[in-house]
Amino acid sequence: MGKQKIETQFIYIIVALLFIAFLFAPLMILLINSFKTGQGVGLNHYSALIGDKGIFIAIRNSITISVLTALITTILAFILAYAVNCTNIYKSIKAIIKVGILIPMLLPTITYGFAIIYSFGKQGLLTQFFGREFFSIYGFNGLLIGYVIYTLPPAFLLINNSFGYIDKKFMIVSTLMGDNLFRNFTNTILRPLIGTLGGAFVISFILSFTDFGIPASVGGTYSVIATQLYQVMLGAIPNFNSGSAIAMLMLIPALFGVVFLNYLEKFNFHYDKFTNTALAKNKLRDSCFGMLSIAMVVGIILIFLVMFITPFVKNFPYDMSFTTSFFKDTLFSKMILDVYENSLLVAIVSAVLGTLISYSAAIINARTTMSKNIKMSIDVFAMMTNTVPGMVLGLSYLLLFNNSDLKGTFAIIIICNVVHFFTTPYLMAKNSLSKMNPAWEITGELMGDTWTRTIMRVIIPNSIATLVEMFVYYFINSMVTISAIIFLVTARTAVVTSKINELQHFASFNEIFVLSILIFATNISMKICSEIVHKKLSFTHSCE
Amino acid sequence: MHVLLQLKEVRKQFAGKVVLDGINVEIANGEIVSMLGPSGSGKTTLLNIILGLTPMDSGSIIFNGKDISKVSMKERGFNIVFQDYALFPNLTAYKNIVYGLKNKPDLISKEEIDELIDFLELQPHLSKNIDQLSGGQKQRVALARTLAMKPKILLLDEPLSALDGVIKETIKEKIKAITKQYNLTTIIVTHDPEEALTMSDKVLIIDEGKVSQFGTPKQVIHQPENSFVEEFILRQLRIKRDHIYNLFEVCHG
Repeated sequence: MGKQKIETQFIYIIVALLFIAFLFAPLMILLINSFKTGQGVGLNHYSALIGDKGIFIAIRNSITISVLTALITTILAFILAYAVNCTNIYKSIKAIIKVGILIPMLLPTITYGFAIIYSFGKQGLLTQFFGREFFSIYGFNGLLIGYVIYTLPPAFLLINNSFGYIDKKFMIVSTLMGDNLFRNFTNTILRPLIGTLGGAFVISFILSFTDFGIPASVGGTYSVIATQLYQVMLGAIPNFNSGSAIAMLMLIPALFGVVFLNYLEKFNFHYDKFTNTALAKNKLRDSCFGMLSIAMVVGIILIFLVMFITPFVKNFPYDMSFTTSFFKDTLFSKMILDVYENSLLVAIVSAVLGTLISYSAAIINARTTMSKNIKMSIDVFAMMTNTVPGMVLGLSYLLLFNNSDLKGTFAIIIICNVVHFFTTPYLMAKNSLSKMNPAWEITGELMGDTWTRTIMRVIIPNSIATLVEMFVYYFINSMVTISAIIFLVTARTAVVTSKINELQHFASFNEIFVLSILIFATNISMKICSEIVHKKLSFTHSCE
Repeated sequence: MHVLLQLKEVRKQFAGKVVLDGINVEIANGEIVSMLGPSGSGKTTLLNIILGLTPMDSGSIIFNGKDISKVSMKERGFNIVFQDYALFPNLTAYKNIVYGLKNKPDLISKEEIDELIDFLELQPHLSKNIDQLSGGQKQRVALARTLAMKPKILLLDEPLSALDGVIKETIKEKIKAITKQYNLTTIIVTHDPEEALTMSDKVLIIDEGKVSQFGTPKQVIHQPENSFVEEFILRQLRIKRDHIYNLFEVCHG
């Protein structure tokens, strides 16, 4: 028992130091900076911001469009989840919906904007197809479409997951008790899901409020807080102090959001047993929800289709004849290969380190006898990383490490990713570890193992599927993130997403799409690999 | 008979609540002792204290005349089969059985392992994964894994509770046979009076952290020492007996 203490304490100290140095310290500096004035300390930056009409409009715009996005996304995500869980449409259609809706997650948000421009703009693919321009794409409309596409996958995953825990037998009971359609629906679907729907709304709001990629590409003159922050920090005259104040303003809604999410937990139903019950036949319901869902998935695919077409035609949209020469030239240019290499390096190292750290933290929390306070502190780290928007984290790093050796290195980008994406992999590991038999370590010890040896021989081999999932999560998110790293990259350490941001100023859209295709292809191969590993693991488990 | 294990005034509290209140017991070499009591009586805590997993607040444990109260779980050399077996699902049945030999290769010979496997009739299942085994097979694999460590005392936590009716009786016989074969002192925790009284040489009845009665099954049946034994143990058994007698009379009639 004594030995285990030393090893686990050592792991805990490393994890805690990481969060002190790369989460608490930078955020403290950010807070201090936002209050620092020429004469000392004060609220000058905040009062200046409130007086600044530009900032005021940006914040108002951000709130307006994020609320609207959250509302639309929650409704659409609910329709999708309902179609998948509560209708009798074909299994293959359900599978297409489930996979298709997740496609946007494999792409950086900055790509969304350009795909929207090339689909709905004056010369856009869909505009050409339908023969007319539906609406002006730059600004409000483009942003709204982008945000909805961006927030739909996580909202769908959340609601779909909760649907799995709803006991569908209650639907039958409600029908047998003579409930009408409306009462049946509200009592057996809406009421149990209300917490989750609120959660989907909050998450969609936070994501659109803090995203940088979409407004950077399609924002136009409709200013939002993310683009304001970028301009203040990296514009002609960078102002670190008022940048810090804007970042703090960005943090506040996120903070409220997370508090509200925890409050919503209370509304979630926990059925102890859930069963698969045959659903009542209803052709009208099935065809309505089926059509709507397919329309959404097809719509998303159509919007992204353009990025696979443009680089392969001679001169979009005037000369649509097929050519691969441009794609080849771009793909093998040094500029493209260099940034792609950088992105791969960053994503792989972030994934390895991130998986290691979040798994170790989860082991401390789920499989040791360390004190409650220590375990809770790790949960607090996880909740904090989940709260801090990427741009805020990146900016705080810029402030703290601007004069250190870390400035302009890959290391700082990697550390930023590891901290920023910590929550989800940590929860995956914690969930899977706490489901394992609690007596394994004791059994190992009785068989003569040291604690570390039991971890190596038993705990890790039983976590392979989870570890792969964690790795892929870190990898894909490091590959597509832009908001977290936009303040940290330099010319030498440029990654694909920051390059795309740069290329738009030269109107090099072909390069933009080639880079996006590269990210997409890389991420989808990663997903396929992880699926294969999963299949193989479940195969050996049941067939050997 | 030679006294192997001695518990003296063992006390334990959890968050101010007394769980064990001065337990005194002597267990002889080679005996099977069942610890019987309702849930919350403290029997599992006592088992964990003997194992060395849970520290006691006061009292002492004497093994073979030596005070082992402060000796760590690993050094005590006792071993346990948990209620849910705690088998490692990433390893086959065989690799589970020889798990401990990686750490202590000289502890047991190849022949002894083979004998153990034969005795528990595990030969046909050795290459199977854990989730392909039935409940009774899992129980036997867990037994083999523990016995391969040659424990000085074998502890069994609710060994029959996860098994269904038919297999229960055969596992019962197996456990009895194995303790006789290896002359193994065995302590079993159970909440089922029938199980306790039919499997063991001695029964330790625990109620609310105190020893209610400690004696042979015969003594418990014929000389119940207090109303708890009478009310909760004997009455249950009598009802069961009457049900079965009734059933057979009806059939014969």
